[in-house]
Amino acid sequence: MNPFITAFAKGIERSGVDPIKVSVVSDIPFDPGVVNHLHIDFFHTIRGRAIAFGTGLKLGNPALQVVPIIGDLVTLGGNHFVHAGRRNMDLLVICVNNFVYRKIAGELAPSIPPSFSPYSTFEEPFNVPHLANSCGAIYTARWTALHTDELTLSVSEALKKRGFCVIEVLLPGPNYYRRIKEIESDLVNFYYENSVIRDGEDPRNVGITPEGKIVVGKFTDKERPTFIDSYNAQLSSVLGDEFIPYGG
Amino acid sequence: MRANPKDVNTGVYYIDGDVASGYGALAAGCKFVAGYPITPSTEAAEAFARIAPKAGAMFIQMEDELGSIAAVVGASWAGVKSMTITSGPGYSLMMETIGFGAMLETPFVLLNIQRGGPSTGVPTKTGQADMMQSRWGSHGDYELIALSPDSPQELFDYTIKAFNLAERYRCPVMIMSDECVGHMTEKVVIPPADEIEIEPRRFYAGPKDKYLPFKPDEDLIPKMAKAGDGYNLYISGLTHDERGYPAENGGCQSVYTKRLVDKIRLNKDKIIELKEEGLEDAEVVVISYGISSRVAVRGIEMAREEGIRVGSLRLVTVWPFPDERIAELAKKVKAFVVPEINYGQIAFEVERCSHGMANVILVPHGGAGVHHPDDIYNAIEYARRLEGRVEGVIEQKTRLERLVFEERIKLSE
Repeated sequence: MNPFITAFAKGIERSGVDPIKVSVVSDIPFDPGVVNHLHIDFFHTIRGRAIAFGTGLKLGNPALQVVPIIGDLVTLGGNHFVHAGRRNMDLLVICVNNFVYRKIAGELAPSIPPSFSPYSTFEEPFNVPHLANSCGAIYTARWTALHTDELTLSVSEALKKRGFCVIEVLLPGPNYYRRIKEIESDLVNFYYENSVIRDGEDPRNVGITPEGKIVVGKFTDKERPTFIDSYNAQLSSVLGDEFIPYGG
Repeated sequence: MRANPKDVNTGVYYIDGDVASGYGALAAGCKFVAGYPITPSTEAAEAFARIAPKAGAMFIQMEDELGSIAAVVGASWAGVKSMTITSGPGYSLMMETIGFGAMLETPFVLLNIQRGGPSTGVPTKTGQADMMQSRWGSHGDYELIALSPDSPQELFDYTIKAFNLAERYRCPVMIMSDECVGHMTEKVVIPPADEIEIEPRRFYAGPKDKYLPFKPDEDLIPKMAKAGDGYNLYISGLTHDERGYPAENGGCQSVYTKRLVDKIRLNKDKIIELKEEGLEDAEVVVISYGISSRVAVRGIEMAREEGIRVGSLRLVTVWPFPDERIAELAKKVKAFVVPEINYGQIAFEVERCSHGMANVILVPHGGAGVHHPDDIYNAIEYARRLEGRVEGVIEQKTRLERLVFEERIKLSE
């Protein structure tokens, strides 16, 4: 099985969260065989709407642990990412950074660093942990798919936190479930070998550039009232006894 | 099942249609509304936001309409009744996710208080030009249900009905109202909770490991489960088999999409609600919906004063379309008159269903206002005089159009 899925499953186990209450929401292809074995609910939504769908799922039943796994990184649905962060919506967002939409050769995602497309590219990539941190995420981390122990720990930490958590995973190839091809295996090794762990690094300094090392680690870990906390506090202060607290 | 008294603000009110719809949603058991403010639908969201926290329900202002409708579909899968509220441009933004909702057989309600378009159009004034969009707006084959209330009281009543239909048929239900009805203030009676019938969600109750989320019952509608109950759901916008697993082959695509359309088409008789009046001996029938039916009342009265035998068929349910009823009437009447605030949407459906047996006269209106009763009277009068069958839809000019186009009144005046 793909190292990312393994780390994710171990992270759920380690967090002590009941897998029955975990809902994964993706906007990219997933193999039912793999997800089904994890004994979690899985929603395969449409491009860009995983975080918004996840917001509804969470607010519909606040007891759920909702994990949007987004593949088309902060492109379609970028606004949902920004605002879920601002609201501190209790979601664990996993951004799977493929650098390129490999399924469609040569098509670029905005997070692509220069030199990973046939004719190179001139666009600046997104610094995802920095973006998430700026939007108000309470937890940000980045790991390559081969940092399995670290990734497992991050998933378990983030699942236990209440609020908007973002973990960026550098993982070549969009189809986690398919046999990792030789070239992709080389690439993930390349990421791993060219990475340096710097826990607690200022997210502003962790942008991926063609020259430097890929900085991985846990960058943000703080507390803020979640959307539901703030909603309940505000409405009970205004409505008093008339208010029925949400999700409580 | 009866409504929960906590959700019902029983009383006699003098409120506008938007507000009535917000009250109706709560009474129907809606626990989650996600929306983004847009004129002329905002008051409905405001009303819900005001009363929801006292009933354990939530309104969230999302970042945009794309997010609003995605959250609504998500909340429905968490097991709560949910709704979004929008108009014109917001409605267009929601199209992709409406198809997603239909594909997942998700019950939810969408209130569209129509305004004049296209594009930004006339945000504060009325229109009825989204009717076809409500039917065909998202890509692919699907059927859904659309209602068209014509008063604040009906916006209350039919918002509840919309939720009931959504749960019963596991599909999106559109309330295709318009600015005039939405902003019209009238008496609205909210009955006691025990007089309001609501349809609970039909949850699956068998053994967990045997559950197939898309295996239909005899009525073609599958039982639903919600996230977090241990059903190991796999729910995908890809064409799927009964387990929910993607099955991108011709056979599955045919079987699945056929059922998506058939579950509505074959249950049409149970879904469609029409209001008919004076059809027994009618030579001309006015077919109308929403605000146009309110104006048509006066046009019909005027024609009857002149001794014309004219009946009224009001489409409370616009989709699915009452093909058979119109075909049946077409054999008996001389003509149909269809006033609508667009340049011909439902009129062409009427023509399709009349199979050349009756003339179809469209009384269009560009929007930003409603017909003058004279427009409808003139069309009825013309319809009665017209000899023989005329192919296609005959377009009648309105009073406003004559003023603008024939008397060359400047548009700026």
